[in-house]
Amino acid sequence: MKKIRFIFALVMAKLAIIALKITHHNGTNFPGIVALRICPDFLAYVNQPQKMIAVTGTNGKTTVSNLINDALKADGLVVLNNSLGSNINTGIATSLIYGVNIFNKEKYKIGVFEVDERSAPRIFPYLHFDYMIITNLSRDSIMRNAHPEYIRSLLEKYVSKDTKLILNADDLLSALILPSNDRVYFGIEKMASDLKESHNLINDIRVCPHCHHELAYEYVRYSNIGKAYCPHCEFKAPSYDYALGSVDTDKMTAVFKGPDGNHQYRLLNPSVFNIYNELILLTILSELGYSMTRMEELLNKIDIVRSRFNFETVKGVEVVMLLAKDRNAYACSRVFEYIATSDRKKEIIMMMSSISDSKHWSENICWLYDADFEILLDKQVERIIATGPRGKDYTLRLALAGFDVSKIKTGAIDEAADKLLLNSDSTVYILYGTDSIGEALKVKNKIIDRLKEEKQ
Amino acid sequence: MIIEVLYPEIGNLYGELANIDYLKRSAKDVKIINTSLNDKPSFLSHRVDLVYMGTMTESAQALAIEKLKTYVKDIKQAIEAGQRFLITGNALEIFGQKIIDEQTVTEGLGIFAFHTIRAMMKRYNSLYLGDYQDIKIVGFKSQFTTSYYGEEIEPLFITQRGAGFNKGETKEGIHYRNFMATYVIGPLLILNPLFLSSLLNEMKIEYDLAFREEALAAYQDRLKEYSDPKTGFYY
Repeated sequence: MKKIRFIFALVMAKLAIIALKITHHNGTNFPGIVALRICPDFLAYVNQPQKMIAVTGTNGKTTVSNLINDALKADGLVVLNNSLGSNINTGIATSLIYGVNIFNKEKYKIGVFEVDERSAPRIFPYLHFDYMIITNLSRDSIMRNAHPEYIRSLLEKYVSKDTKLILNADDLLSALILPSNDRVYFGIEKMASDLKESHNLINDIRVCPHCHHELAYEYVRYSNIGKAYCPHCEFKAPSYDYALGSVDTDKMTAVFKGPDGNHQYRLLNPSVFNIYNELILLTILSELGYSMTRMEELLNKIDIVRSRFNFETVKGVEVVMLLAKDRNAYACSRVFEYIATSDRKKEIIMMMSSISDSKHWSENICWLYDADFEILLDKQVERIIATGPRGKDYTLRLALAGFDVSKIKTGAIDEAADKLLLNSDSTVYILYGTDSIGEALKVKNKIIDRLKEEKQ
Repeated sequence: MIIEVLYPEIGNLYGELANIDYLKRSAKDVKIINTSLNDKPSFLSHRVDLVYMGTMTESAQALAIEKLKTYVKDIKQAIEAGQRFLITGNALEIFGQKIIDEQTVTEGLGIFAFHTIRAMMKRYNSLYLGDYQDIKIVGFKSQFTTSYYGEEIEPLFITQRGAGFNKGETKEGIHYRNFMATYVIGPLLILNPLFLSSLLNEMKIEYDLAFREEALAAYQDRLKEYSDPKTGFYY
């Protein structure tokens, strides 16, 4: 009976694909929604590619999935993936529907899927993954993800015991997951910019899991990302199976070290989290059997998509759009760290103020007190504009971080561009959230129009 | 003013340590004692004006119970003697009788007669609007748990909107002598400058609220929003 239901679901989903093509509505999860509505355990029956790779974790999973897809495609492989759909069960079901014919025969040899970590209960019990990459686990939206230990518990409950794990040794929250599963660890050796102590508000693994004394670090990058050890007992972070060493962000090179030797590669992007993303790519390619020289050839054919980083200069004023995930203090702090590396005069428009939340309820702003606004405390910051309904909350948070209240302006999004000083040789950062890219583009265009008009 | 933060290395979720930072900026001559898991709480043997413990993970909760169990008798005595506590989020469950999960039962410190039911797959998020005496309280809740009073316990807040101690209860938290505990999470004292003023007045602490004007402006906006029946309360 279940098999008949599955066949019916597959046929209906295939018809849905045809209907979407006719109506030019490609790239939606609709076929997966149809299939799962008819057959809730559809994922258990649909045939999968022979080799399956899951990429999950709090940050970086989209970039890592795209890098793996791009590298494998550059090698001539046809890869099934969910890069055009969503990373929840309906998106993955949609991809798998595309990946089989009407007789449920698989058309692809390899599948690379970005998996929403929160969706583990609806995905991992049904699909078998050969490899699961966990980029990292950190705090995310409070409402959605609670805390990273909760997300780890979901993965521990639902991930198959015979899935090989590819884990970040520099993130103890994810590194210690599922101890009986086969695994390899990746990590970045000490970098010039590393610290001895974490200075971030968020550090979700502060105590030794054995003796509960505070952990220390040989080196730490941000939050709990670094090489941890316990000064009171034998506990220390796992050793690297794959490592990046000699990271040089001026020359944009690093040396990848694996069981097959060392090899120098170009860095695709200088930011620490993207260096981790590149390391993950090299690790999974090594696990798939690629040689060092072949990986170098593939790396030369790919790049990190810049959609999260939009840059334009008009008459000496830089206008930079940056995704700062709303309600995600950890991700916002990384953006603040990036902004702080610039020694130019700065103005910052904060519009990661959960537009969708304000339509239905009121944003939970606890995350403002997890985010390191203090990083932005810099004399070069001339003005901060906090848009949206939570402007007064931002003002208070920024004041407590040490900002001069007179430098903080609040108001509606469409007034933001008019409130800027736009001094010469300054950079305007537009920080937008996951639901405000459209509004951010309008603000950016308004700034550029203003610059063109005023500086003539 | 001497503030002891119990286990800040684990009780630090949802920006709650900002409450202590705000107290430090607002009250006069504040000294903070951060007590780690392997240390004996200072308030058991020294003068402490306020003991604070914030929201933590479920495994951290078990650890905190394990560490505090050694001192249950002394903690009870301190509470009876009028020691001031402010306990937020799920840290309050530590002081109850037990936390019943799907598979496990964790014995709490048993200081107050209530128990907690935890369902890790049934989390709820809500806004909160309640009363502390004649002061309106605004805030957030985010819980895997609900708690049930076993006997008559004076609540800290009376709920106007959102969930109380559980979804069917208007009473919220615990207020016994100077022991105050609430499920309201996050920067409670920053979001509620009137409550903080009242707390410091009760404690006879000299203070001048940091960025009082900005804090009151944000509070008034939120109160207006939460009092609006059109504002949804559950996420």
